[in-house]
Amino acid sequence: MSDPNERASLADSSPEALLAQVALGNRTAFETLYHGTADKLFGICVRVLGERSEAEEALQEVFANVWRKAAQFDPSRASAMSWLGMMARNKAIDRLRALPMRGALSPLEFAADVPDPGASPLQQADALAEGDRLAHCLEQLEPKRRSLIREAFFGGFTYEELAARAQAPLGSIKSWIRRGLLQLRACLEP
Amino acid sequence: MNASLPPQHGEPGAGDPPDDDVLAGELVLGVLGPEERRRAQARAVADREFSARVASWERRFAPWLAEVAPLAPSVQLWPQICRRLGWESTPGRRPGLWQSLALWRGAAALAAVVALALWLSRPPGAPQPPAVAAVPPPVESAAARAVTTLAHDDGSPGWLASIDPVHGTVLVVPVPGAPDANGRVPELWIIPAGKAPRSLGAVSIDKSHTVAVPADSRSALVAGSVLAITLEPASGVPHAAPSGPIIAKGAIQT
Repeated sequence: MSDPNERASLADSSPEALLAQVALGNRTAFETLYHGTADKLFGICVRVLGERSEAEEALQEVFANVWRKAAQFDPSRASAMSWLGMMARNKAIDRLRALPMRGALSPLEFAADVPDPGASPLQQADALAEGDRLAHCLEQLEPKRRSLIREAFFGGFTYEELAARAQAPLGSIKSWIRRGLLQLRACLEP
Repeated sequence: MNASLPPQHGEPGAGDPPDDDVLAGELVLGVLGPEERRRAQARAVADREFSARVASWERRFAPWLAEVAPLAPSVQLWPQICRRLGWESTPGRRPGLWQSLALWRGAAALAAVVALALWLSRPPGAPQPPAVAAVPPPVESAAARAVTTLAHDDGSPGWLASIDPVHGTVLVVPVPGAPDANGRVPELWIIPAGKAPRSLGAVSIDKSHTVAVPADSRSALVAGSVLAITLEPASGVPHAAPSGPIIAKGAIQT
Protein backbone atom coordinates (compact mmCIF):
# COMPACT_ATOMS: atom_id res chain seq x y z
CA MET A 1 0.00 0.00 0.00
CA SER A 2 2.96 2.32 0.22
CA ASP A 3 5.36 1.10 -2.40
CA PRO A 4 7.46 3.59 -4.35
CA ASN A 5 5.30 3.19 -7.47
CA GLU A 6 2.17 4.19 -5.63
CA ARG A 7 4.04 7.05 -4.02
CA ALA A 8 5.17 8.29 -7.43
CA SER A 9 1.71 8.02 -8.97
CA LEU A 10 0.12 9.84 -6.03
CA ALA A 11 2.67 12.66 -6.25
CA ASP A 12 0.89 14.01 -9.35
CA SER A 13 -2.60 13.68 -7.86
CA SER A 14 -4.77 16.69 -7.13
CA PRO A 15 -5.59 17.46 -3.48
CA GLU A 16 -9.17 16.45 -4.32
CA ALA A 17 -8.05 13.01 -5.51
CA LEU A 18 -5.77 12.60 -2.49
CA LEU A 19 -8.59 13.49 -0.09
CA ALA A 20 -10.77 10.82 -1.72
CA GLN A 21 -8.03 8.27 -1.09
CA VAL A 22 -7.52 9.50 2.48
CA ALA A 23 -11.25 8.96 3.05
CA LEU A 24 -10.63 5.28 2.24
CA GLY A 25 -7.85 5.11 4.80
CA ASN A 26 -4.89 5.39 2.41
CA ARG A 27 -1.95 6.54 4.54
CA THR A 28 0.37 7.03 1.59
CA ALA A 29 -2.15 9.46 0.07
CA PHE A 30 -2.36 11.17 3.47
CA GLU A 31 1.40 11.61 3.63
CA THR A 32 1.48 12.90 0.04
CA LEU A 33 -1.30 15.35 0.90
CA TYR A 34 0.64 16.50 3.96
CA HIS A 35 3.81 17.18 2.00
CA GLY A 36 1.86 18.99 -0.71
CA THR A 37 -0.19 21.27 1.55
CA ALA A 38 1.53 21.62 4.95
CA ASP A 39 3.51 24.75 4.00
CA LYS A 40 0.42 26.58 2.81
CA LEU A 41 -1.66 25.53 5.82
CA PHE A 42 1.17 26.33 8.23
CA GLY A 43 1.39 29.82 6.67
CA ILE A 44 -2.30 30.30 7.47
CA CYS A 45 -1.91 29.07 11.07
CA VAL A 46 1.07 31.36 11.66
CA ARG A 47 -0.79 34.26 10.14
CA VAL A 48 -3.63 33.82 12.65
CA LEU A 49 -1.66 32.74 15.72
CA GLY A 50 1.36 34.97 15.17
CA GLU A 51 3.99 32.44 16.20
CA ARG A 52 5.31 29.05 15.20
CA SER A 53 4.91 26.74 18.19
CA GLU A 54 1.18 27.41 18.62
CA ALA A 55 0.77 27.21 14.85
CA GLU A 56 2.45 23.79 14.80
CA GLU A 57 0.05 22.55 17.47
CA ALA A 58 -2.84 23.86 15.40
CA LEU A 59 -1.49 22.21 12.25
CA GLN A 60 -1.27 18.85 14.05
CA GLU A 61 -4.93 19.20 14.95
CA VAL A 62 -5.73 20.11 11.36
CA PHE A 63 -4.15 16.97 9.92
CA ALA A 64 -5.56 14.70 12.62
CA ASN A 65 -8.93 16.16 11.62
CA VAL A 66 -8.25 15.67 7.91
CA TRP A 67 -7.49 12.00 8.53
CA ARG A 68 -10.75 11.51 10.41
CA LYS A 69 -13.01 13.74 8.33
CA ALA A 70 -11.74 13.44 4.76
CA ALA A 71 -14.99 11.69 3.83
CA GLN A 72 -16.88 14.87 4.70
CA PHE A 73 -15.11 16.87 2.02
CA ASP A 74 -17.69 17.85 -0.60
CA PRO A 75 -16.05 18.90 -3.89
CA SER A 76 -19.29 20.54 -5.03
CA ARG A 77 -19.00 23.06 -2.19
CA ALA A 78 -15.35 24.05 -2.22
CA SER A 79 -11.99 23.23 -3.70
CA ALA A 80 -9.83 20.95 -1.56
CA MET A 81 -7.40 23.80 -0.88
CA SER A 82 -10.23 26.09 0.29
CA TRP A 83 -11.61 23.34 2.50
CA LEU A 84 -8.20 22.63 4.01
CA GLY A 85 -7.35 26.32 4.31
CA MET A 86 -10.59 27.13 6.09
CA MET A 87 -10.10 24.16 8.41
CA ALA A 88 -6.59 25.41 9.22
CA ARG A 89 -7.87 28.92 9.90
CA ASN A 90 -10.71 27.59 12.07
CA LYS A 91 -8.38 25.41 14.16
CA ALA A 92 -5.99 28.35 14.53
CA ILE A 93 -8.81 30.62 15.71
CA ASP A 94 -10.11 27.96 18.13
CA ARG A 95 -6.60 27.75 19.53
CA LEU A 96 -6.31 31.51 19.72
CA ARG A 97 -9.54 31.69 21.72
CA ALA A 98 -8.18 29.13 24.18
CA LEU A 99 -4.90 30.97 24.80
CA PRO A 100 -4.67 32.62 28.19
CA MET A 101 -2.23 35.35 27.11
CA ARG A 102 -4.09 36.62 24.09
CA GLY A 103 -2.52 40.11 24.07
CA ALA A 104 1.02 38.81 24.27
CA LEU A 105 0.93 37.46 20.74
CA SER A 106 -0.16 40.79 19.22
CA PRO A 107 -1.00 39.31 15.86
CA LEU A 108 -2.33 42.59 14.47
CA GLU A 109 1.14 43.96 13.79
CA PHE A 110 2.19 40.64 12.34
CA ALA A 111 -0.89 40.19 10.25
CA ALA A 112 -1.80 43.67 9.18
CA ASP A 113 0.09 44.38 6.01
CA VAL A 114 2.86 41.89 5.62
CA PRO A 115 3.31 41.51 1.87
CA ASP A 116 2.74 38.02 0.57
CA PRO A 117 5.29 37.32 -2.12
CA GLY A 118 5.21 33.59 -1.49
CA ALA A 119 2.04 32.40 -3.22
CA SER A 120 3.05 30.46 -6.30
CA PRO A 121 2.15 31.92 -9.70
CA LEU A 122 -0.18 28.99 -10.23
CA GLN A 123 -2.04 29.55 -6.98
CA GLN A 124 -2.19 33.24 -7.72
CA ALA A 125 -3.61 32.58 -11.16
CA ASP A 126 -6.20 30.22 -9.70
CA ALA A 127 -7.23 32.70 -7.08
CA LEU A 128 -6.93 35.75 -9.28
CA ALA A 129 -10.43 36.00 -10.70
CA GLU A 130 -12.14 35.44 -7.35
CA GLY A 131 -9.51 37.41 -5.50
CA ASP A 132 -10.05 40.33 -7.85
CA ARG A 133 -13.75 40.28 -7.15
CA LEU A 134 -13.22 40.18 -3.40
CA ALA A 135 -10.68 43.01 -3.63
CA HIS A 136 -13.01 45.00 -5.87
CA CYS A 137 -15.93 44.54 -3.50
CA LEU A 138 -13.82 45.45 -0.48
CA GLU A 139 -12.87 48.66 -2.27
CA GLN A 140 -16.56 49.54 -2.33
CA LEU A 141 -16.72 49.46 1.49
CA GLU A 142 -15.96 52.54 3.47
CA PRO A 143 -12.38 52.34 4.76
CA LYS A 144 -13.31 51.76 8.39
CA ARG A 145 -15.46 48.72 7.61
CA ARG A 146 -12.90 47.41 5.18
CA SER A 147 -9.98 47.52 7.58
CA LEU A 148 -12.06 46.06 10.44
CA ILE A 149 -13.14 43.08 8.34
CA ARG A 150 -9.62 42.43 7.11
CA GLU A 151 -8.16 42.73 10.62
CA ALA A 152 -10.83 40.39 11.94
CA PHE A 153 -10.18 37.82 9.23
CA PHE A 154 -6.42 37.66 9.56
CA GLY A 155 -6.05 38.49 13.24
CA GLY A 156 -8.88 36.28 14.48
CA PHE A 157 -10.17 39.11 16.69
CA THR A 158 -13.52 38.95 18.46
CA TYR A 159 -15.91 41.87 18.46
CA GLU A 160 -14.79 42.72 21.98
CA GLU A 161 -11.12 42.71 21.01
CA LEU A 162 -11.74 44.82 17.93
CA ALA A 163 -13.68 47.33 20.05
CA ALA A 164 -10.82 47.55 22.54
CA ARG A 165 -8.23 47.96 19.83
CA ALA A 166 -10.21 50.54 17.91
CA GLN A 167 -11.29 52.27 21.15
CA ALA A 168 -14.81 52.32 19.80
CA PRO A 169 -18.10 51.19 21.39
CA LEU A 170 -18.84 47.48 20.96
CA GLY A 171 -22.21 48.28 19.38
CA SER A 172 -20.62 50.42 16.68
CA ILE A 173 -18.06 47.75 15.83
CA LYS A 174 -20.77 45.08 15.50
CA SER A 175 -22.88 47.35 13.36
CA TRP A 176 -19.99 48.29 11.04
CA ILE A 177 -18.95 44.70 10.51
CA ARG A 178 -22.49 43.39 10.00
CA ARG A 179 -23.23 46.10 7.45
CA GLY A 180 -19.89 45.42 5.81
CA LEU A 181 -20.73 41.71 5.52
CA LEU A 182 -24.08 42.44 3.92
CA GLN A 183 -22.51 44.88 1.48
CA LEU A 184 -19.82 42.37 0.60
CA ARG A 185 -22.35 39.64 -0.02
CA ALA A 186 -24.48 41.91 -2.19
CA CYS A 187 -21.44 42.90 -4.23
CA LEU A 188 -20.02 39.38 -4.61
CA GLU A 189 -23.36 37.77 -5.44
CA PRO A 190 -25.60 40.43 -6.92
CA MET B 1 -27.74 30.04 -3.94
CA ASN B 2 -29.00 33.52 -3.16
CA ALA B 3 -32.37 32.73 -4.63
CA SER B 4 -33.09 30.28 -1.82
CA LEU B 5 -32.30 32.76 0.93
CA PRO B 6 -35.20 34.31 2.81
CA PRO B 7 -35.65 38.08 2.44
CA GLN B 8 -33.03 39.99 4.35
CA HIS B 9 -33.94 42.11 7.31
CA GLY B 10 -33.29 45.80 7.19
CA GLU B 11 -30.02 47.34 8.27
CA PRO B 12 -28.60 45.13 10.99
CA GLY B 13 -28.46 46.93 14.27
CA ALA B 14 -25.94 46.18 16.96
CA GLY B 15 -28.58 45.29 19.53
CA ASP B 16 -30.74 42.91 17.52
CA PRO B 17 -29.69 39.30 17.10
CA PRO B 18 -28.28 39.05 13.57
CA ASP B 19 -30.09 37.04 10.94
CA ASP B 20 -28.72 33.60 10.11
CA ASP B 21 -26.69 34.68 7.14
CA VAL B 22 -24.94 37.46 9.05
CA LEU B 23 -24.32 35.03 11.92
CA ALA B 24 -22.73 32.57 9.46
CA GLY B 25 -20.56 35.43 8.14
CA GLU B 26 -19.54 36.33 11.69
CA LEU B 27 -18.60 32.72 12.37
CA VAL B 28 -16.43 32.53 9.26
CA LEU B 29 -14.90 35.94 9.90
CA GLY B 30 -14.06 34.79 13.44
CA VAL B 31 -15.49 37.74 15.39
CA LEU B 32 -17.76 35.76 17.71
CA GLY B 33 -16.78 35.35 21.36
CA PRO B 34 -15.89 31.83 22.59
CA GLU B 35 -19.40 30.85 23.72
CA GLU B 36 -21.20 32.25 20.66
CA ARG B 37 -18.58 30.65 18.44
CA ARG B 38 -19.14 27.21 20.00
CA ARG B 39 -22.89 27.56 19.60
CA ALA B 40 -22.59 28.63 15.96
CA GLN B 41 -20.13 25.80 15.25
CA ALA B 42 -22.56 23.28 16.73
CA ARG B 43 -25.31 24.68 14.52
CA ALA B 44 -23.11 24.41 11.46
CA VAL B 45 -22.82 20.68 12.18
CA ALA B 46 -26.48 20.03 12.95
CA ASP B 47 -28.32 22.47 10.65
CA ARG B 48 -27.94 21.88 6.91
CA GLU B 49 -29.20 25.28 5.85
CA PHE B 50 -26.91 27.09 8.26
CA SER B 51 -24.05 24.87 7.16
CA ALA B 52 -24.69 25.91 3.53
CA ARG B 53 -24.57 29.58 4.58
CA VAL B 54 -21.25 28.99 6.31
CA ALA B 55 -19.92 27.29 3.17
CA SER B 56 -20.99 30.30 1.08
CA TRP B 57 -19.13 32.71 3.34
CA GLU B 58 -16.08 30.46 3.29
CA ARG B 59 -16.17 30.57 -0.49
CA ARG B 60 -16.45 34.36 -0.46
CA PHE B 61 -13.42 34.74 1.81
CA ALA B 62 -11.35 31.94 0.29
CA PRO B 63 -9.36 34.33 -1.95
CA TRP B 64 -7.84 35.88 1.15
CA LEU B 65 -6.46 32.49 2.21
CA ALA B 66 -4.96 32.06 -1.25
CA GLU B 67 -2.84 35.15 -0.74
CA VAL B 68 -1.21 33.93 2.50
CA ALA B 69 2.46 33.07 2.02
CA PRO B 70 3.43 29.41 2.57
CA LEU B 71 5.83 28.72 5.42
CA ALA B 72 7.60 25.42 6.11
CA PRO B 73 6.77 23.84 9.48
CA SER B 74 9.39 21.91 11.46
CA VAL B 75 10.41 18.54 9.99
CA GLN B 76 9.37 17.05 13.34
CA LEU B 77 5.75 17.83 12.64
CA TRP B 78 4.97 14.86 10.39
CA PRO B 79 6.28 12.27 12.88
CA GLN B 80 4.30 14.06 15.61
CA ILE B 81 1.13 13.78 13.54
CA CYS B 82 1.81 10.07 13.01
CA ARG B 83 2.23 9.55 16.75
CA ARG B 84 -0.92 11.51 17.44
CA LEU B 85 -2.83 9.17 15.12
CA GLY B 86 -1.35 6.18 16.92
CA TRP B 87 0.98 5.21 14.06
CA GLU B 88 4.43 3.90 14.83
CA SER B 89 6.16 5.92 12.14
CA THR B 90 5.61 7.12 8.61
CA PRO B 91 3.84 4.62 6.39
CA GLY B 92 6.65 4.51 3.86
CA ARG B 93 9.22 3.50 6.42
CA ARG B 94 7.20 0.96 8.34
CA PRO B 95 9.39 -2.14 8.32
CA GLY B 96 7.01 -4.48 10.12
CA LEU B 97 4.36 -4.82 7.47
CA TRP B 98 6.42 -4.97 4.33
CA GLN B 99 8.94 -7.42 5.68
CA SER B 100 6.28 -9.63 7.18
CA LEU B 101 6.49 -13.15 5.80
CA ALA B 102 2.79 -13.74 6.49
CA LEU B 103 1.86 -10.75 4.37
CA TRP B 104 3.92 -11.91 1.42
CA ARG B 105 2.53 -15.40 1.70
CA GLY B 106 -0.99 -14.02 1.85
CA ALA B 107 -0.28 -11.71 -1.06
CA ALA B 108 1.13 -14.56 -3.12
CA ALA B 109 -1.91 -16.69 -2.39
CA LEU B 110 -4.23 -13.86 -3.31
CA ALA B 111 -2.31 -13.01 -6.47
CA ALA B 112 -2.81 -16.58 -7.56
CA VAL B 113 -6.51 -16.40 -6.80
CA VAL B 114 -6.85 -13.09 -8.65
CA ALA B 115 -5.11 -14.59 -11.67
CA LEU B 116 -7.44 -17.55 -11.50
CA ALA B 117 -10.54 -15.40 -11.08
CA LEU B 118 -9.57 -13.20 -14.02
CA TRP B 119 -8.90 -16.29 -16.09
CA LEU B 120 -12.28 -17.78 -15.16
CA SER B 121 -14.03 -14.52 -16.05
CA ARG B 122 -12.33 -14.23 -19.43
CA PRO B 123 -14.64 -13.95 -22.42
CA PRO B 124 -15.25 -17.22 -24.26
CA GLY B 125 -12.80 -17.76 -27.05
CA ALA B 126 -10.07 -15.68 -25.44
CA PRO B 127 -6.58 -17.07 -25.86
CA GLN B 128 -5.52 -19.58 -23.27
CA PRO B 129 -3.38 -18.02 -20.56
CA PRO B 130 0.14 -19.22 -20.15
CA ALA B 131 0.28 -22.41 -18.17
CA VAL B 132 1.97 -20.71 -15.24
CA ALA B 133 -1.07 -18.52 -14.51
CA ALA B 134 -3.51 -21.40 -14.71
CA VAL B 135 -1.63 -23.46 -12.17
CA PRO B 136 -1.27 -21.53 -8.94
CA PRO B 137 1.90 -22.36 -7.10
CA PRO B 138 1.43 -24.46 -3.98
CA VAL B 139 1.01 -22.34 -0.90
CA GLU B 140 2.22 -23.35 2.54
CA SER B 141 -0.68 -24.57 4.62
CA ALA B 142 0.19 -22.30 7.56
CA ALA B 143 -0.60 -19.23 5.48
CA ALA B 144 -3.30 -20.68 3.28
CA ARG B 145 -6.73 -19.31 4.03
CA ALA B 146 -9.91 -19.83 2.14
CA VAL B 147 -10.87 -16.96 -0.11
CA THR B 148 -14.43 -15.73 -0.38
CA THR B 149 -15.37 -14.28 -3.75
CA LEU B 150 -17.74 -11.33 -3.57
CA ALA B 151 -19.37 -11.57 -6.98
CA HIS B 152 -21.42 -9.06 -8.92
CA ASP B 153 -24.90 -10.07 -10.08
CA ASP B 154 -23.47 -11.27 -13.39
CA GLY B 155 -21.18 -13.64 -11.51
CA SER B 156 -17.98 -11.74 -12.21
CA PRO B 157 -15.74 -11.25 -9.16
CA GLY B 158 -15.78 -7.76 -7.61
CA TRP B 159 -13.75 -8.33 -4.47
CA LEU B 160 -11.93 -11.22 -2.85
CA ALA B 161 -11.86 -11.55 0.90
CA SER B 162 -9.57 -13.63 3.04
CA ILE B 163 -10.49 -13.95 6.70
CA ASP B 164 -8.02 -14.14 9.54
CA PRO B 165 -10.19 -15.36 12.43
CA VAL B 166 -7.27 -15.27 14.88
CA HIS B 167 -6.69 -11.53 14.49
CA GLY B 168 -10.28 -10.68 13.56
CA THR B 169 -9.30 -9.12 10.24
CA VAL B 170 -10.40 -9.45 6.64
CA LEU B 171 -7.95 -8.86 3.81
CA VAL B 172 -9.96 -7.32 0.98
CA VAL B 173 -8.67 -7.37 -2.60
CA PRO B 174 -10.69 -5.56 -5.27
CA VAL B 175 -10.74 -6.52 -8.91
CA PRO B 176 -10.13 -2.90 -9.93
CA GLY B 177 -13.30 -1.20 -11.12
CA ALA B 178 -14.62 2.25 -11.90
CA PRO B 179 -15.66 4.57 -9.06
CA ASP B 180 -19.38 5.19 -8.60
CA ALA B 181 -20.57 8.02 -10.85
CA ASN B 182 -22.59 9.46 -7.96
CA GLY B 183 -19.65 9.63 -5.57
CA ARG B 184 -20.86 6.81 -3.33
CA VAL B 185 -18.28 4.51 -1.77
CA PRO B 186 -18.36 0.72 -1.43
CA GLU B 187 -19.11 -0.35 2.14
CA LEU B 188 -18.50 -3.88 3.38
CA TRP B 189 -21.10 -5.68 5.51
CA ILE B 190 -21.07 -8.93 7.40
CA ILE B 191 -24.47 -10.60 7.47
CA PRO B 192 -24.68 -13.47 9.99
CA ALA B 193 -27.24 -16.12 8.99
CA GLY B 194 -30.72 -14.79 9.76
CA LYS B 195 -29.43 -11.53 11.28
CA ALA B 196 -29.11 -7.89 10.27
CA PRO B 197 -26.03 -6.64 8.38
CA ARG B 198 -23.24 -4.99 10.35
CA SER B 199 -20.85 -2.55 8.71
CA LEU B 200 -17.15 -3.36 8.47
CA GLY B 201 -16.39 0.06 6.95
CA ALA B 202 -15.50 1.34 3.50
CA VAL B 203 -13.42 -0.69 1.06
CA SER B 204 -11.23 0.39 -1.80
CA ILE B 205 -12.03 -0.18 -5.47
CA ASP B 206 -8.42 -0.46 -6.55
CA LYS B 207 -6.20 -1.23 -3.55
CA SER B 208 -6.01 -4.26 -1.31
CA HIS B 209 -6.27 -3.51 2.38
CA THR B 210 -7.04 -5.10 5.71
CA VAL B 211 -10.29 -4.41 7.51
CA ALA B 212 -10.36 -4.80 11.30
CA VAL B 213 -13.60 -6.44 12.39
CA PRO B 214 -15.19 -4.98 15.55
CA ALA B 215 -14.91 -7.41 18.47
CA ASP B 216 -18.67 -7.95 18.71
CA SER B 217 -18.88 -8.99 15.04
CA ARG B 218 -15.96 -11.43 14.99
CA SER B 219 -18.12 -14.39 15.93
CA ALA B 220 -19.89 -13.84 12.60
CA LEU B 221 -16.71 -14.58 10.62
CA VAL B 222 -17.81 -18.17 10.00
CA ALA B 223 -19.10 -20.27 7.12
CA GLY B 224 -22.75 -19.45 6.56
CA SER B 225 -22.38 -15.71 7.05
CA VAL B 226 -22.43 -13.52 3.96
CA LEU B 227 -20.06 -10.69 3.07
CA ALA B 228 -21.78 -8.04 0.97
CA ILE B 229 -20.80 -4.69 -0.51
CA THR B 230 -23.25 -1.83 -0.98
CA LEU B 231 -22.83 1.68 -2.38
CA GLU B 232 -23.24 4.24 0.40
CA PRO B 233 -22.73 7.97 0.93
CA ALA B 234 -19.08 8.73 1.66
CA SER B 235 -19.93 10.51 4.90
CA GLY B 236 -20.98 8.66 8.01
CA VAL B 237 -19.15 5.40 7.28
CA PRO B 238 -19.56 2.99 9.04
CA HIS B 239 -23.32 3.29 8.71
CA ALA B 240 -25.76 1.63 11.10
CA ALA B 241 -27.58 -0.05 8.21
CA PRO B 242 -27.14 -0.26 4.45
CA SER B 243 -29.19 2.16 2.34
CA GLY B 244 -27.75 1.58 -1.13
CA PRO B 245 -27.84 -1.30 -3.59
CA ILE B 246 -25.83 -4.49 -3.04
CA ILE B 247 -23.20 -4.56 -5.78
CA ALA B 248 -21.34 -7.72 -4.75
CA LYS B 249 -21.76 -10.55 -2.27
CA GLY B 250 -20.51 -13.96 -1.33
CA ALA B 251 -21.00 -16.58 1.37
CA ILE B 252 -17.96 -17.02 3.61
CA GLN B 253 -15.82 -20.07 2.82
CA THR B 254 -13.63 -21.36 5.59
